[in-house]
Amino acid sequence: MLTIKNLHASVEGTPILKGINLEIKPGEVHAVMGPNGSGKSTLAQVLVGHEAFEVTDGEILFDGQNLLELEVEERALAGLFLAFQYPVEIPGVSNLQFLRTAVNTLRKHRGQDELDAPGFMKMAKEKAKQVDLSPDFLKRGVNEGFSGGEKKRNEIMQMLLMEPRLGILDETDSGLDIDALKTIAAGVNTMRADDRSFLVVTHYQRLLNHIVPDVVHVLAGGQIIKTGDKQLAMELEEHGYGWLGINEAEAAG
Amino acid sequence: MTLAHKTPVTPLDDAFTPEGGKQLPAPLKSLRDIRSKAITGMALPNRRTENWKYSSRYLKLDPELAPQTQATGDADYRSVEGVYRLVIRNGVVDLDSSSLPSANGVDIRRFADLDDVAAQSVAKKLDTTLDHGTTQLAALNAARLEDGVLVRLSADTSVDKPVYIQYVTDAGASGSNYPRLMVEAGQGSKMTLVEEYISNGDQPVLVDSVSELLLDDSANITYIRLCMDPANVRHIGATGVRVGANARFDSHCIGFGGDLRRHDLQVRLEGQGGYTRLNGIALTQDRQHYDNHTAIDHVVPNCDSDENYRCLAADRSHAIFNGRIHIHPDAQQSHADMNNKNLLLSTNAEIDTKPELEIYADDVTCAHGATVGQLDEGSLFYLTSRGIDRDTAATMLSMAFVHELVGQVPLEDIREAVNTRLTDFIEASFRRAAE
Repeated sequence: MLTIKNLHASVEGTPILKGINLEIKPGEVHAVMGPNGSGKSTLAQVLVGHEAFEVTDGEILFDGQNLLELEVEERALAGLFLAFQYPVEIPGVSNLQFLRTAVNTLRKHRGQDELDAPGFMKMAKEKAKQVDLSPDFLKRGVNEGFSGGEKKRNEIMQMLLMEPRLGILDETDSGLDIDALKTIAAGVNTMRADDRSFLVVTHYQRLLNHIVPDVVHVLAGGQIIKTGDKQLAMELEEHGYGWLGINEAEAAG
Repeated sequence: MTLAHKTPVTPLDDAFTPEGGKQLPAPLKSLRDIRSKAITGMALPNRRTENWKYSSRYLKLDPELAPQTQATGDADYRSVEGVYRLVIRNGVVDLDSSSLPSANGVDIRRFADLDDVAAQSVAKKLDTTLDHGTTQLAALNAARLEDGVLVRLSADTSVDKPVYIQYVTDAGASGSNYPRLMVEAGQGSKMTLVEEYISNGDQPVLVDSVSELLLDDSANITYIRLCMDPANVRHIGATGVRVGANARFDSHCIGFGGDLRRHDLQVRLEGQGGYTRLNGIALTQDRQHYDNHTAIDHVVPNCDSDENYRCLAADRSHAIFNGRIHIHPDAQQSHADMNNKNLLLSTNAEIDTKPELEIYADDVTCAHGATVGQLDEGSLFYLTSRGIDRDTAATMLSMAFVHELVGQVPLEDIREAVNTRLTDFIEASFRRAAE
């Protein structure tokens, strides 16, 4: 589904990713772990096309398409979804209006009928319930005044609505208490399917107790230095990143 | 240092001061004649005229604009439900197309139908709400008066439906018209008044309108002004308001840019406990222009004012906001809050904003803020990452910028219509920019 070959990316001339190779097959859940500054979030942002990052070498194929040639919105329509680490607040755009526009754009792209307001409302309420978010949040501005946990739930609710081919979770666990973590993990788990994959970016192993990965990668200094199964995440949790010879201070370099 | 060149003075062309106003009652006709004589050959504002600094270059009063606009086709009086409607076409009241309230306490009358006593009373009050030094072109309106409307509310009258005035300009041929409205709201009366300017045709035309509202004590007037007609209509408008004790004036002025758009809104708080809220939205695109000049005078103690104007300028357009707050020496315990936020949608657009505070009392609070910004890239990225194309995302964010003010427009039908028209206008601008 997703093939990353020798990916190099930099921000304002500073190289962050230095040769990433990664292959995600349909139905798989991959976790990317690593210390702060290792390039995890950059990888997530590059995949969805954030302008701040310049790809200097390598390629990304998504379902056979050259992802790097696609605009941000085209990547979303192709089935990519990023649950942001820090979702922006957009006062004045109601969550409902935003979500309905997004979902209907997608439905149109997929040749499905667009949903009218009541039809969409019904669907959105169901998804909100799934992540334990009050339907009142649909009426508020996008993420406006949401707590950290509410923003993350809102991200997962969006993912439930948009039904992507590949869901990318960027540190979705950060700042969540254990109940919220479980709710969000449950939401993600209901979406797992043979033709849908996930890339879970996280610093800590605890999310992976609930979203159990098929493959775990350790990213340091802009490269994947180790790949294993879920056992690898547990060992990292037990021994810390130093166990792999990673000096956390240097990992950023 | 450069030598100061003398800015050439352009006099008002004589074509703009012809005979006319034959249907007016004698007191108003004679006022018209006096005003007409007074402004014959007057120097038009130029770039050295402070309050026309940014707009005088758009003020091209060519003789072709001078004739009174005439019906050139079937006017499209877009129907509006649930209102009393008054149509003023080319500056002249069209009673046949109007549906006026028949209830006691509301009196809506053409100037032409006033008896001499009533006309004398109107003539005395005409132009008393405006600062003549800063509304130079309102004088032209008085000098070109053909008709006008007097709306009088008796004490404690509450008008059950909005009074909706449609000013229609036929732009099939070049010309100008000079609509005039006078509202006298008696003690404790209440009304929502909508002024909508519409036009048909694509020739350059000029509308020079003056609306005056006199609010007696405890009167409550909500004023909605929609100036969203096409760019070929040049519009110079002045709205003057006098607010009595414990009276309230709420204003929502929404406009699209044109070849020339100027609105002077002047509110005088003349009775203790008076309140005014002035909201405004101006959108410009292409090479359009919009200039909002507002002035709030706190004349007496214990009055409050809240002002909130937002401008969005796209392409090579030019939007101007000038907000003056004048707190007179006796006006202790005044509270004034003025806010102007601006959004530049293109690097070639220009927005000029200027707060002007003159405070002569010491026990007052007076806050003001003005900002000019651009669309937030982080928000654009977020929206596009959900599959929404960039133009749609930019439109959503632009609408978000005015969302709060649109939300305060009190009538749902009008609010919805405004929302749709603003969205269409912004969408068109992004579409064109992308081409």
